[in-house]
Amino acid sequence: MADHPAAFPDAAPEAPDASSVERAFLKRPSFGIRARLALGFLSFIVFAIAVTVGAWIMLSRLERRLRFLEVADRYTMEIQQARRFEKNYFLYGGNLQDVQDHIANARRLLIAVAPDAAEVVASAELGRMRDHLGRYETLIARLVARDGAHAPADGAERPAIEAELRDHGSQMVAFALELAEKERASVNATLALFKRLPVAFLAFLLVFSVVVANFLARQIVGPLSRLMATTQRIAGGDFTPLTPLRWYRDEFSTFSVALNTMMRELAHRQEVLVQSHKLSAIGTLTSGVAHELNNPINNITLTAEMLKEDYGSLADEERLDMVNDLVVQGARAQKIVRNLLDFAREGEITTERLDLAKVLRGAASLAANQIKLSGAKIAIDVPPNLPAIHGDRQSLSQVFVNLLLNALDAVGKGGHVSIAAGTSREPGYVQVVISDDGCGIPAHVLPKVFDPFFTTKSRGKGTGLGLSVSLGIVRQHGGDIRVESAPGRGSTFTVLLPAAMVPGLSENDAGPATRPSASKPSRPA
Amino acid sequence: MQERLQVLVLDDEPIVGKRLQPALAKVGCDVEVFDAPGQALQRVGEKRFDIVVTDIRMEDIDGIEVLEKVLERWPKTKVIMITGYATVEVAREAIAKGAFDFIAKPFKPQELRDVIARAAEALGFAGVDRAAADDSV
Ligand SMILES: Nc1ncnc2c1ncn2[C@@H]1O[C@H](COP(=O)(O)OP(=O)(O)O)[C@@H](O)[C@H]1O
Ligand SMILES: [Mg+2]
Repeated sequence: MADHPAAFPDAAPEAPDASSVERAFLKRPSFGIRARLALGFLSFIVFAIAVTVGAWIMLSRLERRLRFLEVADRYTMEIQQARRFEKNYFLYGGNLQDVQDHIANARRLLIAVAPDAAEVVASAELGRMRDHLGRYETLIARLVARDGAHAPADGAERPAIEAELRDHGSQMVAFALELAEKERASVNATLALFKRLPVAFLAFLLVFSVVVANFLARQIVGPLSRLMATTQRIAGGDFTPLTPLRWYRDEFSTFSVALNTMMRELAHRQEVLVQSHKLSAIGTLTSGVAHELNNPINNITLTAEMLKEDYGSLADEERLDMVNDLVVQGARAQKIVRNLLDFAREGEITTERLDLAKVLRGAASLAANQIKLSGAKIAIDVPPNLPAIHGDRQSLSQVFVNLLLNALDAVGKGGHVSIAAGTSREPGYVQVVISDDGCGIPAHVLPKVFDPFFTTKSRGKGTGLGLSVSLGIVRQHGGDIRVESAPGRGSTFTVLLPAAMVPGLSENDAGPATRPSASKPSRPA
Repeated sequence: MQERLQVLVLDDEPIVGKRLQPALAKVGCDVEVFDAPGQALQRVGEKRFDIVVTDIRMEDIDGIEVLEKVLERWPKTKVIMITGYATVEVAREAIAKGAFDFIAKPFKPQELRDVIARAAEALGFAGVDRAAADDSV
């Protein structure tokens, strides 16, 4: 696996082995939940800082604007004031000192305001403004000079200066008013923007929160529900390891690796239980086998002894008959032992296409001696063309042998045990119903019969592992075992197994992924 | 000439009867063999046997039942049980119920002959030839 990492993300359908999965988990770059949460909060903080800085910049700009507006108003006032004194001068005469003072004030303001004004008015206009102001000042200065020289008040020069002064003066006022007006509009626009800003901020925050919340939910709830599904799967006996689904590694990956380890342990424990139950079943079967073996051995002993005794006096025909008996009984003994040895052999778990009828007959023949010993009657009914199943032959025969032995324990001499196979009402499933007319199971015991180590049998006779191990095996095959029983009315155990798909169409050899829908209608919780 | 010992052998393994028939005939018994308990019991109803040899474990009717039926009909008949290893307890029960003795599978013909000889003695027969094995090659 390590050679071709690409094999992993879209994991192969068959179960990958646990250690390679762990490696695949560890190979991924780490991107923990803590890091993701931090990233989420960091983006909030960055956003908040951006908004604060933006607001601060805008506010200080607004502050400058307001200051400028104030200056612009004062400038306008100075100009207007200058013009008023100018008008008085022309109407009533007097001095021009006041005009000059105000104009000087205006000039100072203009110089102070120049950098800010550039944002509101074109610099050419500002220049023109300065020209007007300069021209106006020169004209006033000429008037002052003229008055100083005591030029006649009605000299030809004076009306020309007066007209020019009026012209520049009115232009200056108009310009100052316009400047203030433009500035006011700009301030109003900024204020309006400020009014909209919180709303926009709120809207953005809302969208952003939803996105971040969604992201975090997907990051956390998704893996959580996957893990939850996994625990359910584990409870059902499916120990397929989890494979990495994402490009990065986080706390969930660590948890998945831990879960995989746990599943490996569980599978191992389960195997040990299966094995120890199998040993006890072999013990039971062996006593029957030993007993059954007595028959062919006895036949062989008797035949061999008589052949030896009468060898000389026997006709060839008779001798041949006896030798034939020896051969047949030898083969019979071998068969009795081989069945058990087949069952006892520790084999790899292999999934193959199985004919249920064969598995059931095999189980029945394994238990044949117990059946004979118990004196019970057994009926096997397997209809032809029953759908095949996929599974491990040995494990499944262990299940059926156990159910059969349980039934034999429950019925006395002359009791009846029936094994009936058929398609289940559960679509896609085959069922094997093993029922007996034995002692039955009391209601208060029924919920416990599948518990490991629960037994009502005497020590040495029952281990209490049979049903728990059988259920484990059947669940691993994607099936289920259900029980119905009442004291005195016998017991019925129903084994459900997924039917194999038609070859070629079969996409999942391990059987359907889902369990029978109503999983526990009859097994008490 | 002394009366011959009347013996019935019942075992659901046909080979047992097939081999015991000549083995017991050789020592002077009249032997009838059965592999079905029903037929054997029917025959017991008709004829008095001195000795009945029956397997304890059979498919339909078990040996204990045969023992009871035989003793009920012919209280003096000696019943010898054939047991398997797992049924020693049942054999004890059989003794308690009046069986003469039991013999465990697998057994040699001579072992059965010995038991039968003892039973015959108990019945008062003298002429059972215990040494039939001497005829062998
Ligand atoms: N067919 C049955 N009839 C009555 N009781 C049963 C039957 N099958 C199982 N049980 C009960 O369930 C218990 C557990 O069975 P199992 O797990 O096979 O263990 P064991 O057979 O070793 O006792 C049995 O001890 C018995 O009380
Ligand atoms: Mg059991």
